[in-house]
This record gives sequence, C-alpha cells and structure tokens, in this order.
Amino acid sequence: MALAGIAVSAALLLDMTMLASGLTESFGELTRGQGYALRVTPRGTLPFDSEAGVRDGAAVQQRIEAVKGVRKVAPVLGAQLYLVQGDSARESLFTVGVDPDAQALYVLTAGESPRPGEVVVSEPLARHYGVGVGGQLGLAAELDISLGRPREVHPFRVSGVGEFVYDAEDQRSLGMPIVDVQRLTGRPGEVSLFAVAAEEGLSDDLLSAEIERAVPEVSVYSTAELMAEMDQRLLYFRQLATILGSVALAVTALLVSTIIAIGVRERFGEIAALRAIGVSRQRLLLGVLVEGVTLAGAGSLLGLPLGLWMAGRLDRILLDFPGIPARLSFFVLDAQRVALALSIVILTGALAGLLPGLGALRLPLGRALREESE
Amino acid sequence: MTRNRGSSDAGPGVVIRARNVVKEYPYAGDAVHALRGVSVEILAAEWVAIMGPSGCGKSTLLNVLAGIDAPTSGEVELRDQPLAGMTEGERARLRLVSVGFVFQRFHLLAVLTALENIELPMAEAGVPRAERRRRSLELLDYVGLSNRAGHRPPQLSGGEQQRVAIARAVANRPAILFADEPTGELDQKTGEGIMDLFARLNGDGATLVTVTHDPRVAEHAGRTIRMADGEIVNGNNGNHEW
Repeated sequence: MALAGIAVSAALLLDMTMLASGLTESFGELTRGQGYALRVTPRGTLPFDSEAGVRDGAAVQQRIEAVKGVRKVAPVLGAQLYLVQGDSARESLFTVGVDPDAQALYVLTAGESPRPGEVVVSEPLARHYGVGVGGQLGLAAELDISLGRPREVHPFRVSGVGEFVYDAEDQRSLGMPIVDVQRLTGRPGEVSLFAVAAEEGLSDDLLSAEIERAVPEVSVYSTAELMAEMDQRLLYFRQLATILGSVALAVTALLVSTIIAIGVRERFGEIAALRAIGVSRQRLLLGVLVEGVTLAGAGSLLGLPLGLWMAGRLDRILLDFPGIPARLSFFVLDAQRVALALSIVILTGALAGLLPGLGALRLPLGRALREESE
Repeated sequence: MTRNRGSSDAGPGVVIRARNVVKEYPYAGDAVHALRGVSVEILAAEWVAIMGPSGCGKSTLLNVLAGIDAPTSGEVELRDQPLAGMTEGERARLRLVSVGFVFQRFHLLAVLTALENIELPMAEAGVPRAERRRRSLELLDYVGLSNRAGHRPPQLSGGEQQRVAIARAVANRPAILFADEPTGELDQKTGEGIMDLFARLNGDGATLVTVTHDPRVAEHAGRTIRMADGEIVNGNNGNHEW
C-alpha cells in the first residue's frame, strides 16, 4: 500500500513537472514548427492581442523584406466573418487572410491553396456543414442590427480543406487570400501581423533588433519572447504545479520516512547487534539510505506509467477549455523532465530514510542492546 | 582453528582489566547504579562466567568490558588498550577485530545465508572475498553446519542459528569472545551443544566471558564471578590495586 502511495505521489510530481512549463514549450514548438521565427505586430501590441493593424501593410512588408537576413515575410490579417445560409447568419467564424504562397497557419489536407474568391475551410467546419472542395459558402463581414441579417453576402468557392495550426479542437475557421479579407472588412492594405522567416544561422534577437530599427512602427517578437510572454500569462499553472508538486514530495517523504522508521524499529535488535560486532555506523546508515532509495525508486517506476496516463487524461480535460489550440499540450514529456521528477522522488526517499536511520544509530549501543533484550 | 592467543603485551596473560568501574543510568530524574566500582581481571584463554540475578548488572559489566558501553567512571583495558580515550569509530574497529560477541537472540541477518552472515564481519574488516569465503566454509565446518551454508536463518533451528552466530563472532579471529545468555533461547539439550562448542573454542585458545543465570552453563567455565546489586560478590581474582 505504501509503495502504491509513493507511486501515486511520484506520478503526481511527474505530472506537475510536465505541467510547470509544458504549455509554454508546446507553444514554442508549435510556433517554431511553422518555420517563422519572428512575429511583427503594430508597435506595443502582441500578436492578435488587439484589433490594431499595420495600415500600409504592403509597404511595411517591403521594408521588412529589405532587412538583411530576412528570408520570407508572411502577412496575416485576422477578422470575424459571418457564415450565411439562406438569408441568415449561421455563425461568426475566425478568418485569417494570408498570402497563400507564404503562410504558416494551416496545412491543406484536401484541395489547393485559395485564389481570390476562394476559401480554405477547417476540417471541423467542412464536417459540420458538409462542405468540401468545390462547394460554395456565403460570407458577410457585417450584420444589419435592425434587421438581424447580413448586410452584404459574398459568395466564395471552397478551394481546400485544411488543418488550422492554432485552432482549438472542433473550431470552425476560414483561410483566404489577405486581399479578400481586406476587401470584405473594409480594411484595405491592413495587416494584423507579419510572420518572418530568417536566413539559416541568424540570431533571432539580432534580426529582431534590425527589423525594429528599420521599421520603428512595429514590435518584433521572437519565439523565445513569445514563450516568455506566455509563461507570464500561465503563472497560475506554474504556481498550481509547484504547490501540488510540493504536496506530492511531502507525501513521498512522509511515506518513505514512516516505512523506514517501522523497518528500523522492527530491526532494532539486528542493527544494535551489527553495531556491537563492529559494523560501522556509516555502513549501517548507508544500508538504511539504500532502503529508502530502493523504496522511492520502486515507487517512482510504478508511478511513471500512472503519471503518463494521468497526464494524458488531464491534457484532454484542459484542452477542452475554449480557445486552446488542439495542437498544444499542457503536459510535455521529455526524458530530462522524467529523469528530474524521478530523481527528486528518489532523493526525497534517501533524505526521508536518513532521519529514522540516524535516530536508530544515535541511540547509545548499550541502551539499544538492553532495550532489545527486554 | 587459528586465533590470537591471549595477549603477551597486556601483562602476564591478562587480556581484560577493569578498575573501579561505575555505570549509572539516568532514570526518571534519578540515577540507577548498574555497576558500583567493579574491578576485574581476566586472563588469556580463561573462560569466565558472570552470574547473578536479573538486574544485578552482569550484562552491563559485559557491555562495558566489551567496549559496547562506556563506564560512568573507572577504567577498562582490552589487551592493554584503554577504552576511555577511544572514539566510537575506534571502539567499533576494536570490537570488529579483537572481540567477538554472541547474543541471546542470535541476531543474524535474515536476508543473508549462513555463509554470508559469517562473511559479514570479515567483509567489514576488509578481508578479500576469496579468503573470507574460504574461512567461512572452514568455520561452518567447525560449528558442524557444513551442510547448511546456503540456508537462511529462518530455515535453521535455534541451536543452528546460535552456531552460525558463534562462527560469525569468531570470524575475524578475535582474542576474546563475549556471550550474553547464549543459551537463553535454547532448550537444555541444544544449550549443551552450544556449551560444548564454547568449550572447544576455549580449548583452542579463545578467552570466553559468558553472562548467564543458568548454573549448568556456569559449570563449564573455569571461573565464575557472582554479582549482586552492581557489585562482584565472589569469584573475582582481580579486585586488587594495579
């Protein structure tokens, strides 16, 4: 039972270690994975954090492209568009306007990149409305509040179905050429952000500084900076992980300490006898420590699959929160993190075993032998 | 059996000397006087039985003489080495190589085989693996348990366990063997067998100090020291100034 308790504690600690920075790292991996190391936004804003946009997007893009070390620039304009069926709006959809030849927001799973007048729909949207490549969608940018109807409906052909990288599970989204989003929303030339790919081997920070110098009206974020920003926003998770992890460690320490104390008590006479025949305290203490380490190690090994299973379950629950990209993960597993969690549990086991061990060895030998023979 | 015979450097055959040994234990804010100025000398290859009623201080005297307990006052020398100035580590080393100890309850390690239990003090003393294996087998043969080498203590009878414990006690060839009620947990017949083994060890040159309350055990010893209320009442040849 005690071993099971240690296993549960080890599993919890492993999960909390994975949770402490899992989402941030997962986000970093996702961002890096698209090949664009930098995000350029209107000065003082975070990507998609406000309605702010860069007004003369094409000119700004040219200035960014002119910076030495910039390999590719992908403009993005985010907007909410209404999907219209009949003469009523069915729902508001997050839509990304992109340069279809330089975008990193969706991966086509069917069809082809959109040309003006065409859209790429997310897989959940295609499933939900039963539309596929070649289908038609009516989209509107505004509703007439008094009539409760869309003001102007624009027909779009579905050129492809894609997996949208930052979408939550079952999120219905659209992607289309940026010029169409600019036209529909009445924001000609506007860009929400630019994703910038750097040339091989170039430092993100260096390029970031170069772009900000060349285009002062923008802010540039490297993946590392975005991760740091995310880390700040996820302070709650880190605190939760720290508290639960500490509780798990305390439980492990108590369990190991109690078991070792009982074991030492049961073998009190044996330990006293070994001391009497000249076995050194150090060796006996080492034996008790090994016992603690073995106990904690065995518990940790049992806890490992349990922790991974728990992480999977918790991940699914947490990813159900609205707006969390399905490709993210709250619990990121890597060998270092597993080794860290297991090492902490084993070290705790050793330290927890130390206390009863020292207690038994501190007792004067004569008294220990007398107590044993009584 | 080859062992350290007596001690020529501890005086004329004296291997244990105790002078005016007092041992007090604190108890409920007061002091229990376990030993009240005990002096004793034990010669090399002597077999001394310490007898007396329960609580008379015989086990305490044994522990003090063996360097397990430190006296409150007085002096103890083992093979001419005063124990008073020794650290716990030095005393442990002395007990490991110069002294053997046999307990009433055997105290063998249940997870080790008989052979491994005998090897234990030799391993602690740094005896090479092959040598300790050879010596352990020899000792098992000496105590009549050659066929029990691979058995663990729970698989052995009480008498067999005590034989293994005796083999363990003499593994490092100590000059002196202390035994505290070595037959206390055994029936009479098995106890006799253990006494025969002690007699053989003594005959081979080991100094034996045995605590017992059983007169039949004491009969085997060459000298019996009787204690009462923390003092030696007779049988001592060592209550003199030295």
